[in-house]
Amino acid sequence: MGNSKKLALQAILVAAALALSYLERFIPLQLLIPLPGVKLGLANIVSLFALYFLGWRSAFIILILRCTLGSVFGGGVTALMFSLTGGLLSMSVMALARHIPFFSVYGVSLCGAAAHNIGQILVAALTLSSVYIFAYLPFLLLVGLVTGMLTGAVASACFRALIASGQWSLPQ
Amino acid sequence: MDKPLRLRFRPGDLVAVSAIALLASAVALIFLTGSGTGPAEAEIRQNGELIDTIPLDRDTEFVISGDYENTVTVKDGEIAITVSDCPGEDCVHSGWRSSAGQSIVCLPNLVEIRIVPADGGETGVDGVTG
Repeated sequence: MGNSKKLALQAILVAAALALSYLERFIPLQLLIPLPGVKLGLANIVSLFALYFLGWRSAFIILILRCTLGSVFGGGVTALMFSLTGGLLSMSVMALARHIPFFSVYGVSLCGAAAHNIGQILVAALTLSSVYIFAYLPFLLLVGLVTGMLTGAVASACFRALIASGQWSLPQ
Repeated sequence: MDKPLRLRFRPGDLVAVSAIALLASAVALIFLTGSGTGPAEAEIRQNGELIDTIPLDRDTEFVISGDYENTVTVKDGEIAITVSDCPGEDCVHSGWRSSAGQSIVCLPNLVEIRIVPADGGETGVDGVTG
């Protein structure tokens, strides 16, 4: 893939991730599970795509841009700290999990969701200087099991359709 | 084509599922076993500092101010943040809490309401750092 094509694609993916994060604010998941930090994590589909099709460097660039722009549009410094810590931990874990031979994209997505939860709880515990916040972690992890499977399924379907279209192939 | 790409669910993914479930249970065991049913009081913390301790057996209502305002209501031995002008209002959606070990958090306002046994004993964990 040429450099300008890759750059354009990265920009589109940042926009897509921002749009997905915005969209999921309208899905009232928190009415179902009233816990801070509960969300579908649709933007993780973009992270998975970047990781699989463009490599980990691009994936990290897209993630950092997405978090920074997201906090500019709404949320501020606290939100940036939360999304960046969760996002970076999640992306690091997924970049490693991708090379574990018995994991499919589902396993990678699940590990990413769990890492994201742990990262956010860590920041919350530090922000409030309270270890008790970890009491929320079990619930977040269980919700993450469901949402991680869901985003894994969407990513799996997307990737297979893209590869079947013949225009995309996975590096390596 | 599909196999080396590993795009479909594989039995190996269950390792991730079990590991996450195991971690969730372990953390739950550590932090939620101390929940008691005895008399309880609520410690109100803001910015990590204890600003007030209130018994749950007396009905009351007050406001915690900061970047935002949380209205805290104590009624029939339960406590809740009933009104808040913070974004998201996760604290209000958390609802009513009453037993030791539980907590209500308003991250935007840096407020944590932690329910502890009325004798002042710790629950669940041996100590707190940070």
